[in-house]
This record gives sequence, C-alpha cells and structure tokens, in this order.
Amino acid sequence: MLSKNTRLWLGLIALISLLSLASSCSKGGGEEESTGETGGKPYTAKGNEGTISGVISYTGAAPELKKIDTSADAACTSKSPDLKTEDWVVKDGKLANTFVYIKDGTLADGSKIEGFTFPVPTSPATLDQNGCHYKPHVLGVMAKQPINITNSDPTTHNIHFTPKKNPDWNQSQPNGAAALTHTLNAPEVSPSLVQVKCNQHPWMKSYVGVLKHPFFAVSAEDGSFTIKGVPPGKYNVVAWHEGGANGTEKTMQVTVAASGAAKADFSFGATAMGQPSSLQVLPALEFPMLGKH
Amino acid sequence: MSKGLHRFALLVACATFFLIIAGANVTSHDAGLAVPDWPLSFGKVFPQMVGNVFWEHGHRMIATAVGMLTIVLAVYLQLRDSRRWMKRLGWIALAGVIAQGLLGGLTVKLLLPLWVSAAHATLAQLFFLTTVSIAVFTSRSWVMPPTSIADNRAGFSIRSLTVVALVSILAQLVLGATLRHSATWDQELPTSLLLAHVGGAICVTLILGATIVTTLLRYRGDKYLTRPAVFAAAVLFVQLGLGLAAYVTRSRSPYDPQPLTPMVAITVAHVACGALVFASTIVLTLRAFRVVDAEQGEYVLAAA
Repeated sequence: MLSKNTRLWLGLIALISLLSLASSCSKGGGEEESTGETGGKPYTAKGNEGTISGVISYTGAAPELKKIDTSADAACTSKSPDLKTEDWVVKDGKLANTFVYIKDGTLADGSKIEGFTFPVPTSPATLDQNGCHYKPHVLGVMAKQPINITNSDPTTHNIHFTPKKNPDWNQSQPNGAAALTHTLNAPEVSPSLVQVKCNQHPWMKSYVGVLKHPFFAVSAEDGSFTIKGVPPGKYNVVAWHEGGANGTEKTMQVTVAASGAAKADFSFGATAMGQPSSLQVLPALEFPMLGKH
Repeated sequence: MSKGLHRFALLVACATFFLIIAGANVTSHDAGLAVPDWPLSFGKVFPQMVGNVFWEHGHRMIATAVGMLTIVLAVYLQLRDSRRWMKRLGWIALAGVIAQGLLGGLTVKLLLPLWVSAAHATLAQLFFLTTVSIAVFTSRSWVMPPTSIADNRAGFSIRSLTVVALVSILAQLVLGATLRHSATWDQELPTSLLLAHVGGAICVTLILGATIVTTLLRYRGDKYLTRPAVFAAAVLFVQLGLGLAAYVTRSRSPYDPQPLTPMVAITVAHVACGALVFASTIVLTLRAFRVVDAEQGEYVLAAA
C-alpha cells in the first residue's frame, strides 16, 4: 500500500499533468502545421493564361430565406432587425455564394496542375462580423494566406473555425478589439469548405474554401463568377454550395484554350438544396407527412 | 439520523439534477465554446450574459454552486453521520464534483473533443448517482426500513435485476451522451451511434420493464419497493416518447437557421428524464439491497 503522503503527491502530479495537457492542447489549436500538400514546382506564367467564367442558376422556386431570431442579443436586434439566412440567396433565378474552383486537371503540356505551386498572396483576406453576420458569407483563400477577422458590431463575438483537415481555432473578439489574424495551412474544400461559426450567436455561419492554387471564385448576387489566370488545359471544375451535412457539389469538365475564355454554367435546384422533402425517422424509413415544420 | 442532513442531501441531489438540465441546455444551444476561456469567462467572474454566453456562463455558475453545496455536504457528513463509509462517500462526492469541474474546463480548453464531452456528460450522471445515493442513505426509511416480508418465489432475484437495469441505463446514458456530442445541432447525427442508442433504448425498456414488473408482482403492497418501481415505469414511458420527439426535432435542426425552441426543449427534457429514470432505478436498487436477500428470496435487513 502507498503511504498517505505518496498518494497525495501522486494526486497532485496527476492534477498538474491534466492542467498542463489542457493548456498545451489549447495552445496547439492555434498553431497550424503544414500538411505538405502544398508541395510541387513553382508555376511560371506564360502569358497565355485564360479565364473560366459562368453563371450559377437556381432551378425551381427559390427557397424562402428564414428570419433569424436575434432577441438573445439586443445589439444584434438593433443593428440587424430583419436578419435572414444566407444559405440560398437567389435573385432572378441566379444563385449567390457558390464557391467555384478547379479541383484537378491537366495543363496543355500534359503536366498536372496539382504538381505546381503558386505564390501565396501576402495581403490578407478579410472576414468581417457586421450586423451579427459574416461578410462575406463565402470566402476563398489560398493555404497559408492570412485571414484578417474584424468585428464591426457593438457586441462580442467568438470566431470558431471548425475545419476537418486544419486545427480547430476559437477566439473571442469584443467590440472595438483589434483585428485577429488566422491562417489555414492545409487545403480544405472537401468534404466541405471550412465552416466558421460564432458560438455566442449560433445563426452566424461563414464558409472558407482553402486551396493550394488561386483558381477559385465565389458567385456574386447575379450568379456570375470569373476565375482568372488559368493555364491552358483541361480541368475538373467544382461548384460547391452549402446545405445538408457537407453541402452540395457539382462537377464539370472544362477546357481552357490558350488565352481563351471558357464557360462553366452550373445549376442547383430543390433536390440539391440539402433539404429533405420528407423526414427520415430511421435510415430506411420515411414519413412523408412530417417533412416540414 | 439527522433530518437536516437528509434534507441537505436532497437539496444537493436536486441541485445536481438542475445542473444536468443546465448542461443539456449548453449542448442543445451549441454554447459550449461561447466563452473561449476557463475558469474565468472573458477574464471576468461575471461577464455580460448575452447570446449563448447566458447558457455557458449560467452553467458554470450553477456548477460552482453545486460544488460549494457538495463541500458543505461532505463536511456535514463528517460531522453528523457516524457511519465511516458514509464519511468516505462524502469525500467521493467532493472528488467527483472537482473532477467534473476539471473535465468541464477541459471541454473548453480542448475545443470540445468528443471523448472529453462524452466523459463530462457521463461523469455528470455518475455524480448524480452519488448524490441520490447519499440522499437515500441518509433517509429515515434507509435507517429504519419497513418490516421484512418473506418471499420464497423462484426466478431472478430482484437484486440482480436492479443491478442489470442500472448498468444498462448507465450504458444507455453514455451512448446518448456520445451521440449528442458527436454532432452539433446543425449537423446530422451519425447513423451508427443513433441506431446503437435506439437499440439501447429497447434493451433498457426490456430490462427495466422486467425489473419493474417483477417488483410490482413479487412485492405487491410493499410501498418501499413499489413506489420507486412505479415512478421508474412512469418516467421510462415519458422518456420513450421524448426520445422519439427528440429524434424528430433533431433531424430537422440542421435545416433550421439556429437551434429552435422545440428541438432545444425536447432534447433537454430527454436528457433530464433520462436522469430521472436513472435516479428512480438507483433508489429501487438501493432499497432492494437494503431489504431483500436475493439468495434466500426473502427480506433481511442489510447492515445500516
């Protein structure tokens, strides 16, 4: 049997170890490590790069944007009295906030685009918390590109990145505080873009697509997008939109000619919304009458 | 036995139940990381209670109150209870609440890893078990149980049945905690865990149902055992309904703009009712052990 003193010391050591573990792990959450997925030879622009542009359409009746109850925080209610969801922003049949990117492909000389590296912008992308929602709602960055996070609201937010391939990151930002900077080191667009949320205001969501190359764009309010500086070649282009567990992806093969302008129009609709038409009670059973609130 | 001690033990058990409800609200509102630091909240003892900070910091305040009540209970037991094992149980309760507080801190510091969150929810139920047990052990009916009644019928002993029921409920609570913490309100619940929890519900219903029926048939007229059995039957029935309702509302929540009241209220009620099923089975088990000699199939007084 251990003596009382020994047991006391063992207990103290266990407690201190537990607290040290907690402390070190929480620090670890803020320090990203490169996954090595960004390796390859540098791409040298040849001057014959082209563009991929297109329009994201929404077929069928546009889903109604849902009103958000902001009454839990008076500052949100006063700044955004009519806040609505931004998951399916449709105007004249055109869909905003769709992230379009080159997934993979082959350049005209037969080399794979995945085998190249591209310079990471030193200027940060900006994610603002304004009116108790994120601006922009969908953001694209290159891996290792800094993201500046600002708070333009008269309330405190916490910014919680919930990636699957990068470390979690959760920071508080009071109103008037200096901008925070966060960097995602590993490319992450699949199975979903990185979701950013505020645990204080659970309706606040934003999505960040992280790629090792600069060939991505987010559709504007009129559904349009343009990806510039694309080397001539044949690519699989993906359009991703939020909804459901991991969002919805549409893929299209696009060929970009030398100095050419390729078109890639995508269409989403009710079936791609990630909204069930019936409620699954068990994986194999469905109750059609319980589909909607 | 001090009546005051028993009443205080009841207060601690009730406060623990309230704490479980507060904790369930944190999970259902996805408020676990609304306050990124610990043990202080935004570096303060009392931050502004806006948005989900209300749920997270409110949970911390109630937990602090339960911790203090447990310290008082542990000291109270040293002073007013002559049984050595009860004095030890007081310290065990105190160790449990301290460990639970540290686990709660770990959930924040480690950004809610599943194993820590599930462990935090499980230890909450084990601490509740401890406080309910202390309330039972300090009760007048434990010290002076009713007159024993001979029961020589064959079949499963009520002791074995209650223990199996208790273990199955605890396993189901662990499964439920793991299921709840494996996906936030805006994500779909993992099918494998969901099916395991449904299977667990069927097992618990069969085992606890058999225990209740056996108790009611074998010890008919003996309220000492039938009362907790009837209460367990009632909360089990409600719990099954709440489980189905929780599933229906939770399945819809990924498509809602935020955690809505029906989903939050029903899932929290499901957690709370699960704790009540556990508590009533604890009472039934302890009482069965107090008055029933399973091997002989007759009532004997266990050591006080």
